[in-house]
Amino acid sequence: MKSSRKKKRRKVQVPIASMGDIAFLLIIFFMLLSEFSKDKDLSIDLPLSDQVKKTEVVVAARVAMASDGAIYFDGDRVDSAKDIEWGVRALLSKTVADEQRHVQFKCDASLPKETFEPVLKAIAEGGGIIEAVGEDK
Amino acid sequence: MFKHRKKQEKRHRTGEIPTGSFSDIAFLLIIYFLVATTLVKVKSISADLPTGEKQSDAAVDKTPIVNLRGSKMYFSDKEVTLDNLNARLAALKLSEQSPDKRVIMLESTKMTSYESYFQALAAISSNGGVVAIVEEDE
Repeated sequence: MKSSRKKKRRKVQVPIASMGDIAFLLIIFFMLLSEFSKDKDLSIDLPLSDQVKKTEVVVAARVAMASDGAIYFDGDRVDSAKDIEWGVRALLSKTVADEQRHVQFKCDASLPKETFEPVLKAIAEGGGIIEAVGEDK
Repeated sequence: MFKHRKKQEKRHRTGEIPTGSFSDIAFLLIIYFLVATTLVKVKSISADLPTGEKQSDAAVDKTPIVNLRGSKMYFSDKEVTLDNLNARLAALKLSEQSPDKRVIMLESTKMTSYESYFQALAAISSNGGVVAIVEEDE
């Protein structure tokens, strides 16, 4: 005996009520984790070397020296190398672990020693481990 | 008549905020940030410069020294190329030495460019050496 009843079509509904929450959570996650580059607009011609490696270290501070010799600490211009030393020292005053002492150093390849060396020394005096940025040859 | 219709409309209002398009807006924002973001991974060398007072001359004499004079490079007073310097430093097997024997002094003239300074620094650091900057006497 054939049943005359037609099969009822089930309506399948995908629950999308929580999609908005998930999406906003993702946005908040990315906003908290992302870091904006502060020295993007500086004119820095990085030195070349075949010994540079991609590093996974988290840097405590960023020091940059533009081609005109101007010194920047975390994106803000400072007057002298002494300011760098104080800045690094203040940042690392409560730091004991070596992994938290890395300071990124970006410097224009054409600058002479008398311009960049005081800054390198200032980072070391402040307790930082220098992460000198370069480009692969 | 008009009043009656208004009353009917009021009855249908539930006071809910329409949130149906929120997820669309949020995903649009995510896509925007994903497209507009550039992920930068910098390449660098790590150098932990020791700080402190100048060593006695006797101790300094035994320490290998890299001299940068303009574009020329010297290792223990002999002119070397960058590849040569790497080979000489590798031969010292610095990473197997005790910390005080890993020290390589780096001396340079005033007009040495950061390019050659960086290359010497990279050579010393990548071979397991600890760079000690030599200061000029005033």
